[in-house]
Amino acid sequence: MAYKERMGDGRLVEMSKEEMIRDIEAGCNDAAERGKISALSEDAQERLLDIMISPERVASVEPENTVVFSTDNGCHSLYGNFSEAGGVGLPIHSVTANMLMERALGFDSVFYGWLDFCFKAAKAVITQHQQELESILMNTVSPCIYGAMPNLGGYYKPDGPFENVGDLMAEGKILEGMEVYERLVDHAKEDIVWVSEQLTRVGVDCINIDTTGAAGDGDFLSSLKACEELKKQTGLSIEMGMASEFVMGIHGGLEYDGNVLAGMYPHKQVKMAEKAGVDIFGPVVNTNTRQSTPWNIARAITFTKECSRVANIPLHPNMGMGVGGLPMAEMPPLDAVTKASKAMVELAGVDGI
Amino acid sequence: MSNENLLEIIRESIVKVDRETAVQTVESALAQGLQAIEVIEKGLSPGMQKVGDLFERGELFLPQVMMAAGLMTQIVQSLQDKMSPEQTTKKNGVVIIGTVEGDVHDIGKNIVKILLSVNGFEVHDLGRDALLSRFVEKAKEFNANIVASSALMTGTMQAQGDLETLLKEAGIRDRVKTMVGGAPCTQYWADKIGANAYAENASEAVTKARELMAAQ
Repeated sequence: MAYKERMGDGRLVEMSKEEMIRDIEAGCNDAAERGKISALSEDAQERLLDIMISPERVASVEPENTVVFSTDNGCHSLYGNFSEAGGVGLPIHSVTANMLMERALGFDSVFYGWLDFCFKAAKAVITQHQQELESILMNTVSPCIYGAMPNLGGYYKPDGPFENVGDLMAEGKILEGMEVYERLVDHAKEDIVWVSEQLTRVGVDCINIDTTGAAGDGDFLSSLKACEELKKQTGLSIEMGMASEFVMGIHGGLEYDGNVLAGMYPHKQVKMAEKAGVDIFGPVVNTNTRQSTPWNIARAITFTKECSRVANIPLHPNMGMGVGGLPMAEMPPLDAVTKASKAMVELAGVDGI
Repeated sequence: MSNENLLEIIRESIVKVDRETAVQTVESALAQGLQAIEVIEKGLSPGMQKVGDLFERGELFLPQVMMAAGLMTQIVQSLQDKMSPEQTTKKNGVVIIGTVEGDVHDIGKNIVKILLSVNGFEVHDLGRDALLSRFVEKAKEFNANIVASSALMTGTMQAQGDLETLLKEAGIRDRVKTMVGGAPCTQYWADKIGANAYAENASEAVTKARELMAAQ
Protein backbone atom coordinates (compact mmCIF):
# COMPACT_ATOMS: atom_id res chain seq x y z
CA MET A 1 0.00 0.00 0.00
CA ALA A 2 1.26 3.49 -0.81
CA TYR A 3 0.80 6.50 1.45
CA LYS A 4 0.77 10.11 0.33
CA GLU A 5 3.62 11.98 1.94
CA ARG A 6 5.66 15.09 1.28
CA MET A 7 9.23 15.81 0.44
CA GLY A 8 11.07 18.57 2.27
CA ASP A 9 10.23 20.96 -0.55
CA GLY A 10 6.50 20.24 -0.25
CA ARG A 11 6.08 17.92 -3.25
CA LEU A 12 3.61 15.09 -2.84
CA VAL A 13 5.15 11.64 -3.10
CA GLU A 14 3.94 8.14 -2.47
CA MET A 15 5.82 6.05 0.05
CA SER A 16 5.41 2.51 1.28
CA LYS A 17 5.19 1.77 4.98
CA GLU A 18 8.64 0.21 4.82
CA GLU A 19 10.11 3.33 3.24
CA MET A 20 8.58 5.46 5.95
CA ILE A 21 9.93 3.22 8.72
CA ARG A 22 13.36 3.46 7.13
CA ASP A 23 13.17 7.26 6.81
CA ILE A 24 11.93 7.76 10.36
CA GLU A 25 14.80 5.71 11.71
CA ALA A 26 17.31 7.53 9.50
CA GLY A 27 15.98 10.96 10.52
CA CYS A 28 16.23 10.03 14.20
CA ASN A 29 19.74 8.73 13.76
CA ASP A 30 20.87 11.84 11.90
CA ALA A 31 19.71 14.05 14.78
CA ALA A 32 21.23 11.71 17.34
CA GLU A 33 24.57 11.72 15.57
CA ARG A 34 24.74 15.46 15.00
CA GLY A 35 23.44 16.46 18.41
CA LYS A 36 25.20 13.63 20.24
CA ILE A 37 21.86 12.76 21.82
CA SER A 38 19.66 9.69 22.06
CA ALA A 39 17.57 8.62 19.09
CA LEU A 40 13.83 8.17 19.59
CA SER A 41 12.86 4.87 21.18
CA GLU A 42 11.29 2.16 19.03
CA ASP A 43 7.93 2.89 20.65
CA ALA A 44 8.19 6.58 19.80
CA GLN A 45 9.20 5.76 16.23
CA GLU A 46 6.19 3.47 15.90
CA ARG A 47 3.90 6.17 17.25
CA LEU A 48 5.37 8.65 14.79
CA LEU A 49 4.71 6.16 12.00
CA ASP A 50 1.07 5.96 13.11
CA ILE A 51 0.79 9.73 12.91
CA MET A 52 2.48 9.87 9.52
CA ILE A 53 0.40 7.16 7.83
CA SER A 54 -2.89 8.71 8.88
CA PRO A 55 -4.79 9.53 5.68
CA GLU A 56 -6.60 12.46 7.31
CA ARG A 57 -6.04 15.90 5.89
CA VAL A 58 -5.70 17.46 9.34
CA ALA A 59 -4.11 15.76 12.33
CA SER A 60 -4.91 16.87 15.84
CA VAL A 61 -4.47 16.05 19.52
CA GLU A 62 -6.95 15.06 22.20
CA PRO A 63 -8.54 18.00 24.04
CA GLU A 64 -6.45 17.59 27.18
CA ASN A 65 -3.29 17.73 25.10
CA THR A 66 -3.94 21.05 23.39
CA VAL A 67 -1.15 23.59 23.75
CA VAL A 68 -1.01 27.35 23.37
CA PHE A 69 0.32 29.25 20.37
CA SER A 70 2.71 32.11 20.61
CA THR A 71 3.53 33.85 17.37
CA ASP A 72 6.46 35.59 15.79
CA ASN A 73 4.39 36.65 12.83
CA GLY A 74 0.66 36.52 13.51
CA CYS A 75 -0.89 39.63 12.06
CA HIS A 76 1.73 39.74 9.29
CA SER A 77 0.07 36.63 7.90
CA LEU A 78 -3.00 38.70 7.20
CA TYR A 79 -1.69 42.03 5.93
CA GLY A 80 1.74 41.08 4.68
CA ASN A 81 1.85 40.25 1.01
CA PHE A 82 2.56 36.71 -0.05
CA SER A 83 6.15 36.61 -1.20
CA GLU A 84 7.60 39.38 0.94
CA ALA A 85 6.06 38.46 4.25
CA GLY A 86 4.40 35.10 3.85
CA GLY A 87 0.96 36.66 4.21
CA VAL A 88 -2.23 36.94 2.23
CA GLY A 89 -2.04 40.67 1.60
CA LEU A 90 -5.32 41.85 3.10
CA PRO A 91 -5.60 45.66 3.01
CA ILE A 92 -6.05 46.01 6.76
CA HIS A 93 -4.22 47.67 9.61
CA SER A 94 -2.19 45.86 12.25
CA VAL A 95 -4.85 46.56 14.89
CA THR A 96 -7.62 45.06 12.74
CA ALA A 97 -5.37 42.15 11.84
CA ASN A 98 -4.68 41.37 15.47
CA MET A 99 -8.33 41.63 16.40
CA LEU A 100 -9.08 39.13 13.64
CA MET A 101 -6.31 36.84 14.83
CA GLU A 102 -7.70 36.90 18.35
CA ARG A 103 -11.46 37.07 17.87
CA ALA A 104 -11.99 35.21 14.61
CA LEU A 105 -9.09 32.79 14.48
CA GLY A 106 -8.71 32.14 18.19
CA PHE A 107 -4.99 32.90 18.54
CA ASP A 108 -3.66 32.66 22.08
CA SER A 109 -1.42 35.69 21.66
CA VAL A 110 -1.36 38.77 19.49
CA PHE A 111 1.69 40.20 17.88
CA TYR A 112 3.31 43.39 16.77
CA GLY A 113 6.59 43.99 15.05
CA TRP A 114 7.27 45.60 11.79
CA LEU A 115 7.80 43.59 8.68
CA ASP A 116 11.50 44.42 8.51
CA PHE A 117 11.84 42.77 11.90
CA CYS A 118 15.02 44.31 13.26
CA PHE A 119 15.65 45.97 16.65
CA LYS A 120 18.24 48.39 15.27
CA ALA A 121 15.96 49.65 12.53
CA ALA A 122 13.03 49.89 14.97
CA LYS A 123 14.84 52.64 16.84
CA ALA A 124 14.04 55.08 14.05
CA VAL A 125 10.30 54.44 14.23
CA ILE A 126 9.86 53.75 17.92
CA THR A 127 7.16 56.35 18.45
CA GLN A 128 5.04 54.86 15.70
CA HIS A 129 5.60 51.43 17.21
CA GLN A 130 4.46 52.70 20.60
CA GLN A 131 1.33 54.19 19.05
CA GLU A 132 0.36 51.05 17.17
CA LEU A 133 1.21 48.79 20.05
CA GLU A 134 -0.92 50.84 22.39
CA SER A 135 -3.84 50.56 19.97
CA ILE A 136 -3.42 46.80 19.78
CA LEU A 137 -3.23 46.53 23.56
CA MET A 138 -6.40 48.60 23.93
CA ASN A 139 -8.35 46.39 21.53
CA THR A 140 -7.24 42.89 22.44
CA VAL A 141 -7.17 40.71 25.53
CA SER A 142 -4.55 38.05 24.80
CA PRO A 143 -0.91 38.65 25.68
CA CYS A 144 0.72 40.95 23.14
CA ILE A 145 4.19 39.95 21.96
CA TYR A 146 6.55 42.36 20.22
CA GLY A 147 9.06 40.61 17.99
CA ALA A 148 12.24 41.57 16.17
CA MET A 149 15.65 40.07 15.51
CA PRO A 150 19.12 41.19 16.64
CA ASN A 151 20.34 41.17 13.03
CA LEU A 152 24.03 41.80 13.52
CA GLY A 153 24.36 42.16 9.76
CA GLY A 154 22.64 45.54 10.08
CA TYR A 155 25.68 46.95 11.88
CA TYR A 156 28.00 46.58 8.90
CA LYS A 157 28.80 49.48 6.58
CA PRO A 158 26.94 51.17 4.92
CA ASP A 159 24.09 50.54 7.38
CA GLY A 160 26.28 50.68 10.47
CA PRO A 161 29.75 51.66 11.66
CA PHE A 162 31.56 48.34 11.29
CA GLU A 163 33.47 46.65 8.50
CA ASN A 164 31.84 43.43 7.32
CA VAL A 165 33.36 40.62 9.34
CA GLY A 166 33.00 38.12 6.50
CA ASP A 167 34.86 40.44 4.16
CA LEU A 168 37.64 41.01 6.67
CA MET A 169 38.11 37.29 7.19
CA ALA A 170 38.05 36.64 3.46
CA GLU A 171 40.91 39.15 3.14
CA GLY A 172 42.88 37.13 5.66
CA LYS A 173 42.27 39.61 8.48
CA ILE A 174 40.93 36.89 10.74
CA LEU A 175 41.80 38.39 14.12
CA GLU A 176 40.62 41.84 13.07
CA GLY A 177 37.36 40.29 11.92
CA MET A 178 36.93 38.51 15.23
CA GLU A 179 37.62 41.72 17.17
CA VAL A 180 35.08 43.67 15.12
CA TYR A 181 32.55 40.91 15.67
CA GLU A 182 33.08 41.04 19.43
CA ARG A 183 32.36 44.79 19.39
CA LEU A 184 29.12 44.25 17.48
CA VAL A 185 27.65 42.22 20.31
CA ASP A 186 27.21 45.07 22.78
CA HIS A 187 25.85 47.42 20.10
CA ALA A 188 23.12 44.95 19.26
CA LYS A 189 22.43 44.26 22.93
CA GLU A 190 22.01 47.98 23.66
CA ASP A 191 19.51 48.33 20.81
CA ILE A 192 17.46 45.33 21.91
CA VAL A 193 17.33 46.67 25.44
CA TRP A 194 16.48 50.24 24.40
CA VAL A 195 13.67 49.27 22.04
CA SER A 196 12.23 46.82 24.59
CA GLU A 197 12.29 49.46 27.31
CA GLN A 198 10.42 51.91 25.10
CA LEU A 199 7.74 49.32 24.40
CA THR A 200 7.49 48.40 28.07
CA ARG A 201 6.39 51.99 28.66
CA VAL A 202 3.20 51.39 26.68
CA GLY A 203 2.56 48.03 28.28
CA VAL A 204 3.86 45.33 25.95
CA ASP A 205 3.40 41.91 27.57
CA CYS A 206 6.35 40.09 26.12
CA ILE A 207 9.37 40.68 23.90
CA ASN A 208 10.24 38.00 21.37
CA ILE A 209 13.94 38.19 20.59
CA ASP A 210 13.53 36.19 17.44
CA THR A 211 15.57 34.60 14.68
CA THR A 212 18.38 34.69 17.18
CA GLY A 213 21.73 33.49 15.97
CA ALA A 214 20.98 34.27 12.32
CA ALA A 215 24.26 36.18 12.12
CA GLY A 216 26.14 33.64 14.19
CA ASP A 217 27.34 33.17 17.75
CA GLY A 218 27.59 36.93 18.41
CA ASP A 219 23.96 37.31 17.44
CA PHE A 220 22.98 34.71 20.05
CA LEU A 221 25.27 36.28 22.65
CA SER A 222 23.78 39.74 22.15
CA SER A 223 20.30 38.27 22.70
CA LEU A 224 21.32 36.47 25.87
CA LYS A 225 22.97 39.58 27.28
CA ALA A 226 19.98 41.74 26.36
CA CYS A 227 17.63 39.28 28.03
CA GLU A 228 19.71 39.27 31.19
CA GLU A 229 19.67 43.07 31.38
CA LEU A 230 15.98 43.39 30.54
CA LYS A 231 15.05 40.91 33.23
CA LYS A 232 17.00 42.87 35.82
CA GLN A 233 15.68 46.25 34.76
CA THR A 234 12.08 45.57 33.75
CA GLY A 235 11.09 42.04 34.68
CA LEU A 236 9.57 41.84 31.21
CA SER A 237 8.52 38.44 29.88
CA ILE A 238 10.83 37.27 27.13
CA GLU A 239 10.47 34.67 24.43
CA MET A 240 13.55 33.70 22.46
CA GLY A 241 13.26 32.08 19.05
CA MET A 242 16.26 30.61 17.31
CA ALA A 243 17.25 31.06 13.67
CA SER A 244 18.60 27.60 12.99
CA GLU A 245 19.28 24.30 14.69
CA PHE A 246 22.87 25.03 15.66
CA VAL A 247 24.61 28.27 16.46
CA MET A 248 26.78 29.17 13.51
CA GLY A 249 30.34 30.02 14.52
CA ILE A 250 31.22 33.31 12.90
CA HIS A 251 33.67 33.97 15.73
CA GLY A 252 33.88 30.54 17.28
CA GLY A 253 35.19 31.55 20.69
CA LEU A 254 32.39 33.65 22.14
CA GLU A 255 31.17 32.36 25.48
CA TYR A 256 28.19 32.82 27.76
CA ASP A 257 28.37 31.62 31.33
CA GLY A 258 31.63 29.87 30.48
CA ASN A 259 30.20 27.96 27.52
CA VAL A 260 31.29 28.34 23.91
CA LEU A 261 28.14 29.20 21.99
CA ALA A 262 29.21 28.22 18.48
CA GLY A 263 28.03 24.78 17.48
CA MET A 264 25.39 24.51 20.20
CA TYR A 265 22.31 22.47 19.31
CA PRO A 266 18.84 23.12 20.87
CA HIS A 267 19.31 21.11 24.07
CA LYS A 268 22.35 23.21 24.94
CA GLN A 269 20.92 26.49 23.66
CA VAL A 270 17.95 26.21 26.01
CA LYS A 271 20.23 26.05 29.04
CA MET A 272 21.84 29.33 27.99
CA ALA A 273 18.39 30.84 27.52
CA GLU A 274 17.35 29.70 30.98
CA LYS A 275 20.45 31.22 32.51
CA ALA A 276 19.71 34.53 30.81
CA GLY A 277 16.15 34.58 32.16
CA VAL A 278 14.20 33.64 29.04
CA ASP A 279 10.59 32.63 29.80
CA ILE A 280 9.73 30.74 26.60
CA PHE A 281 12.30 29.16 24.31
CA GLY A 282 11.68 28.49 20.63
CA PRO A 283 14.04 25.85 19.25
CA VAL A 284 14.52 25.43 15.53
CA VAL A 285 15.28 22.29 13.59
CA ASN A 286 16.04 22.82 9.91
CA THR A 287 14.36 20.91 7.11
CA ASN A 288 16.37 19.04 4.51
CA THR A 289 14.49 19.62 1.26
CA ARG A 290 15.90 16.45 -0.31
CA GLN A 291 14.49 14.21 2.41
CA SER A 292 10.91 13.13 3.05
CA THR A 293 8.62 14.62 5.68
CA PRO A 294 8.81 11.43 7.81
CA TRP A 295 12.61 11.82 7.81
CA ASN A 296 12.44 15.53 8.62
CA ILE A 297 9.77 15.26 11.30
CA ALA A 298 11.55 12.32 12.98
CA ARG A 299 14.70 14.39 13.03
CA ALA A 300 12.94 17.48 14.39
CA ILE A 301 11.19 15.44 17.10
CA THR A 302 14.46 13.82 18.17
CA PHE A 303 16.20 17.18 18.64
CA THR A 304 13.19 18.81 20.30
CA LYS A 305 12.45 15.90 22.62
CA GLU A 306 15.97 16.13 24.04
CA CYS A 307 15.59 19.90 24.36
CA SER A 308 12.31 19.35 26.16
CA ARG A 309 13.88 16.75 28.46
CA VAL A 310 16.54 19.13 29.77
CA ALA A 311 14.49 22.34 29.73
CA ASN A 312 13.12 23.97 32.85
CA ILE A 313 11.21 26.61 30.88
CA PRO A 314 8.35 26.19 28.39
CA LEU A 315 9.27 25.26 24.83
CA HIS A 316 7.44 26.65 21.81
CA PRO A 317 9.29 25.17 18.83
CA ASN A 318 9.27 27.09 15.58
CA MET A 319 6.89 25.34 13.20
CA GLY A 320 6.83 27.00 9.82
CA MET A 321 8.45 27.26 6.42
CA GLY A 322 11.49 25.00 6.41
CA VAL A 323 11.67 24.41 10.17
CA GLY A 324 10.23 21.95 12.69
CA GLY A 325 10.14 19.19 10.10
CA LEU A 326 7.88 21.20 7.80
CA PRO A 327 8.51 21.55 4.08
CA MET A 328 10.36 24.55 2.70
CA ALA A 329 7.33 26.04 1.04
CA GLU A 330 5.82 29.47 1.45
CA MET A 331 2.57 27.91 2.54
CA PRO A 332 3.60 24.64 4.18
CA PRO A 333 0.98 21.95 3.40
CA LEU A 334 -1.67 21.51 6.07
CA ASP A 335 -1.17 17.76 6.39
CA ALA A 336 2.53 18.16 7.11
CA VAL A 337 2.00 21.11 9.47
CA THR A 338 -0.57 19.34 11.60
CA LYS A 339 1.17 15.97 11.66
CA ALA A 340 4.42 17.60 12.73
CA SER A 341 2.63 19.69 15.36
CA LYS A 342 0.82 16.65 16.73
CA ALA A 343 4.11 14.77 16.96
CA MET A 344 5.76 17.73 18.68
CA VAL A 345 3.08 17.73 21.37
CA GLU A 346 2.67 13.98 21.81
CA LEU A 347 6.23 12.80 21.35
CA ALA A 348 8.49 15.76 22.06
CA GLY A 349 6.40 17.05 24.96
CA VAL A 350 6.44 20.69 23.96
CA ASP A 351 4.42 23.31 25.86
CA GLY A 352 3.33 25.36 22.89
CA ILE A 353 3.92 25.99 19.22
CA MET B 1 54.29 5.19 5.06
CA SER B 2 51.87 4.39 2.26
CA ASN B 3 50.70 7.02 -0.19
CA GLU B 4 47.18 6.73 1.17
CA ASN B 5 48.42 7.35 4.71
CA LEU B 6 50.28 10.44 3.57
CA LEU B 7 47.20 11.75 1.79
CA GLU B 8 45.12 11.12 4.89
CA ILE B 9 47.56 13.15 6.99
CA ILE B 10 47.38 15.96 4.42
CA ARG B 11 43.59 15.89 4.55
CA GLU B 12 43.55 16.02 8.34
CA SER B 13 46.18 18.75 8.50
CA ILE B 14 43.95 20.94 6.34
CA VAL B 15 41.00 20.27 8.66
CA LYS B 16 43.15 21.10 11.70
CA VAL B 17 44.86 24.02 9.90
CA ASP B 18 48.17 22.44 10.89
CA ARG B 19 50.51 24.30 8.56
CA GLU B 20 53.72 22.56 9.61
CA THR B 21 52.37 19.05 9.24
CA ALA B 22 50.66 19.90 5.96
CA VAL B 23 53.80 21.35 4.38
CA GLN B 24 56.07 18.56 5.63
CA THR B 25 53.70 15.81 4.53
CA VAL B 26 53.23 17.33 1.10
CA GLU B 27 57.03 17.34 0.73
CA SER B 28 57.21 13.71 1.87
CA ALA B 29 54.46 12.74 -0.56
CA LEU B 30 56.28 14.37 -3.46
CA ALA B 31 59.58 12.75 -2.42
CA GLN B 32 57.80 9.40 -2.34
CA GLY B 33 56.72 9.83 -5.94
CA LEU B 34 53.21 11.21 -5.68
CA GLN B 35 52.39 13.76 -8.36
CA ALA B 36 51.57 17.31 -7.28
CA ILE B 37 48.17 17.05 -8.94
CA GLU B 38 47.41 13.91 -6.91
CA VAL B 39 48.34 15.73 -3.71
CA ILE B 40 45.86 18.44 -4.61
CA GLU B 41 43.03 16.27 -5.87
CA LYS B 42 43.30 13.43 -3.33
CA GLY B 43 44.71 15.25 -0.31
CA LEU B 44 44.10 18.97 -0.14
CA SER B 45 40.72 19.15 -1.90
CA PRO B 46 39.02 16.37 0.09
CA GLY B 47 40.45 17.95 3.24
CA MET B 48 38.83 21.24 2.35
CA GLN B 49 35.63 19.45 1.46
CA LYS B 50 35.61 18.00 4.96
CA VAL B 51 36.13 21.50 6.37
CA GLY B 52 32.98 22.60 4.53
CA ASP B 53 31.05 19.59 5.82
CA LEU B 54 32.10 20.24 9.40
CA PHE B 55 31.12 23.91 9.12
CA GLU B 56 27.67 22.86 7.98
CA ARG B 57 27.33 20.62 11.03
CA GLY B 58 28.41 23.33 13.46
CA GLU B 59 31.64 21.55 14.28
CA LEU B 60 33.99 24.06 12.65
CA PHE B 61 33.64 27.81 12.58
CA LEU B 62 34.21 30.56 10.04
CA PRO B 63 37.74 31.57 11.15
CA GLN B 64 38.93 27.96 10.77
CA VAL B 65 37.28 27.71 7.36
CA MET B 66 39.03 30.85 6.20
CA MET B 67 42.38 29.73 7.62
CA ALA B 68 42.06 26.27 6.07
CA ALA B 69 41.27 27.84 2.70
CA GLY B 70 44.27 30.15 3.07
CA LEU B 71 46.56 27.24 3.93
CA MET B 72 45.35 25.18 1.00
CA THR B 73 45.74 28.10 -1.40
CA GLN B 74 49.33 28.66 -0.26
CA ILE B 75 50.26 25.01 -0.69
CA VAL B 76 48.62 24.82 -4.12
CA GLN B 77 50.63 27.88 -5.18
CA SER B 78 53.83 26.27 -3.94
CA LEU B 79 53.07 23.22 -6.08
CA GLN B 80 52.61 25.18 -9.30
CA ASP B 81 56.18 24.70 -10.53
CA LYS B 82 55.87 20.95 -9.98
CA MET B 83 52.97 20.63 -12.37
CA SER B 84 52.84 20.53 -16.13
CA PRO B 85 51.63 23.67 -17.98
CA GLU B 86 48.44 21.77 -18.81
CA GLN B 87 47.86 21.01 -15.17
CA THR B 88 48.55 24.52 -13.90
CA THR B 89 46.24 26.13 -16.42
CA LYS B 90 43.60 23.44 -16.07
CA LYS B 91 40.39 24.82 -14.65
CA ASN B 92 37.34 22.85 -13.72
CA GLY B 93 35.23 25.72 -14.96
CA VAL B 94 34.52 29.43 -14.70
CA VAL B 95 31.85 30.43 -12.21
CA ILE B 96 30.15 33.78 -11.69
CA ILE B 97 28.68 33.85 -8.19
CA GLY B 98 26.79 36.41 -6.16
CA THR B 99 23.94 37.15 -3.79
CA VAL B 100 21.10 38.62 -5.82
CA GLU B 101 20.06 42.25 -5.68
CA GLY B 102 18.06 43.24 -2.62
CA ASP B 103 19.66 40.55 -0.52
CA VAL B 104 22.69 41.13 1.70
CA HIS B 105 23.07 37.63 3.14
CA ASP B 106 26.36 36.23 1.96
CA ILE B 107 27.85 33.91 4.56
CA GLY B 108 26.73 30.77 2.76
CA LYS B 109 27.59 32.17 -0.64
CA ASN B 110 31.12 32.90 0.59
CA ILE B 111 31.57 29.33 1.77
CA VAL B 112 30.42 28.08 -1.64
CA LYS B 113 32.89 30.44 -3.28
CA ILE B 114 35.76 29.12 -1.16
CA LEU B 115 34.95 25.47 -1.80
CA LEU B 116 34.57 26.02 -5.54
CA SER B 117 37.86 27.96 -5.66
CA VAL B 118 39.88 25.35 -3.83
CA ASN B 119 38.35 22.68 -6.03
CA GLY B 120 39.80 24.14 -9.18
CA PHE B 121 37.04 26.46 -10.34
CA GLU B 122 37.85 30.00 -11.41
CA VAL B 123 35.34 31.97 -9.36
CA HIS B 124 34.33 35.60 -9.90
CA ASP B 125 32.41 36.86 -6.90
CA LEU B 126 29.96 39.72 -7.39
CA GLY B 127 29.43 40.02 -3.64
CA ARG B 128 26.06 40.69 -2.08
CA ASP B 129 23.14 42.78 -3.34
CA ALA B 130 24.54 42.22 -6.84
CA LEU B 131 22.60 43.69 -9.75
CA LEU B 132 21.31 40.98 -12.05
CA SER B 133 22.75 42.84 -15.01
CA ARG B 134 26.21 42.34 -13.46
CA PHE B 135 25.75 38.56 -13.53
CA VAL B 136 25.13 38.82 -17.26
CA GLU B 137 28.00 41.25 -17.89
CA LYS B 138 30.51 39.14 -16.00
CA ALA B 139 29.29 35.91 -17.55
CA LYS B 140 30.05 37.42 -20.95
CA GLU B 141 33.32 39.02 -19.87
CA PHE B 142 34.77 35.82 -18.41
CA ASN B 143 33.08 33.42 -20.79
CA ALA B 144 31.55 31.71 -17.77
CA ASN B 145 30.43 28.11 -17.66
CA ILE B 146 28.24 28.52 -14.61
CA VAL B 147 26.23 31.40 -13.15
CA ALA B 148 25.46 30.74 -9.49
CA SER B 149 23.05 32.92 -7.54
CA SER B 150 22.20 32.93 -3.86
CA ALA B 151 19.10 34.28 -2.12
CA LEU B 152 18.13 33.98 1.52
CA MET B 153 14.65 35.43 1.46
CA THR B 154 11.43 34.51 -0.28
CA GLY B 155 11.18 38.13 -1.35
CA THR B 156 14.54 38.09 -3.12
CA MET B 157 14.59 34.58 -4.54
CA GLN B 158 12.35 35.76 -7.37
CA ALA B 159 15.45 37.51 -8.71
CA GLN B 160 16.88 34.07 -9.48
CA GLY B 161 13.99 33.56 -11.86
CA ASP B 162 14.50 37.03 -13.34
CA LEU B 163 18.15 36.16 -13.89
CA GLU B 164 17.12 33.23 -16.08
CA THR B 165 15.14 35.64 -18.22
CA LEU B 166 17.98 38.16 -18.42
CA LEU B 167 20.45 35.48 -19.50
CA LYS B 168 18.04 34.43 -22.24
CA GLU B 169 17.53 38.01 -23.37
CA ALA B 170 21.31 38.47 -23.50
CA GLY B 171 21.49 35.42 -25.76
CA ILE B 172 23.86 33.46 -23.51
CA ARG B 173 21.51 31.20 -21.59
CA ASP B 174 22.26 28.27 -23.88
CA ARG B 175 25.99 28.44 -23.22
CA VAL B 176 25.95 28.85 -19.44
CA LYS B 177 24.56 26.59 -16.75
CA THR B 178 22.79 28.12 -13.79
CA MET B 179 22.83 27.10 -10.15
CA VAL B 180 20.68 28.41 -7.32
CA GLY B 181 21.06 28.17 -3.57
CA GLY B 182 20.06 29.80 -0.31
CA ALA B 183 17.71 28.93 2.54
CA PRO B 184 14.33 29.21 0.78
CA CYS B 185 15.51 27.53 -2.44
CA THR B 186 14.63 23.97 -3.32
CA GLN B 187 14.93 21.61 -6.25
CA TYR B 188 11.30 22.42 -6.94
CA TRP B 189 12.19 26.11 -7.19
CA ALA B 190 15.12 25.39 -9.48
CA ASP B 191 12.87 23.31 -11.73
CA LYS B 192 10.19 25.99 -11.71
CA ILE B 193 12.47 28.80 -12.87
CA GLY B 194 14.49 26.59 -15.21
CA ALA B 195 17.80 26.63 -13.35
CA ASN B 196 20.13 23.77 -14.15
CA ALA B 197 20.97 22.86 -10.58
CA TYR B 198 20.10 23.43 -6.96
CA ALA B 199 22.51 22.82 -4.11
CA GLU B 200 21.40 22.24 -0.53
CA ASN B 201 24.77 23.23 0.91
CA ALA B 202 28.31 24.24 -0.06
CA SER B 203 29.66 20.73 -0.44
CA GLU B 204 26.79 19.80 -2.69
CA ALA B 205 27.42 22.95 -4.71
CA VAL B 206 30.85 21.62 -5.63
CA THR B 207 29.39 18.25 -6.62
CA LYS B 208 26.67 19.91 -8.70
CA ALA B 209 29.13 22.24 -10.38
CA ARG B 210 31.30 19.28 -11.34
CA GLU B 211 28.27 17.45 -12.70
CA LEU B 212 27.26 20.47 -14.75
CA MET B 213 30.76 20.74 -16.20
CA ALA B 214 30.86 17.03 -16.99
CA ALA B 215 27.58 17.37 -18.86
CA GLN B 216 28.82 20.27 -21.00
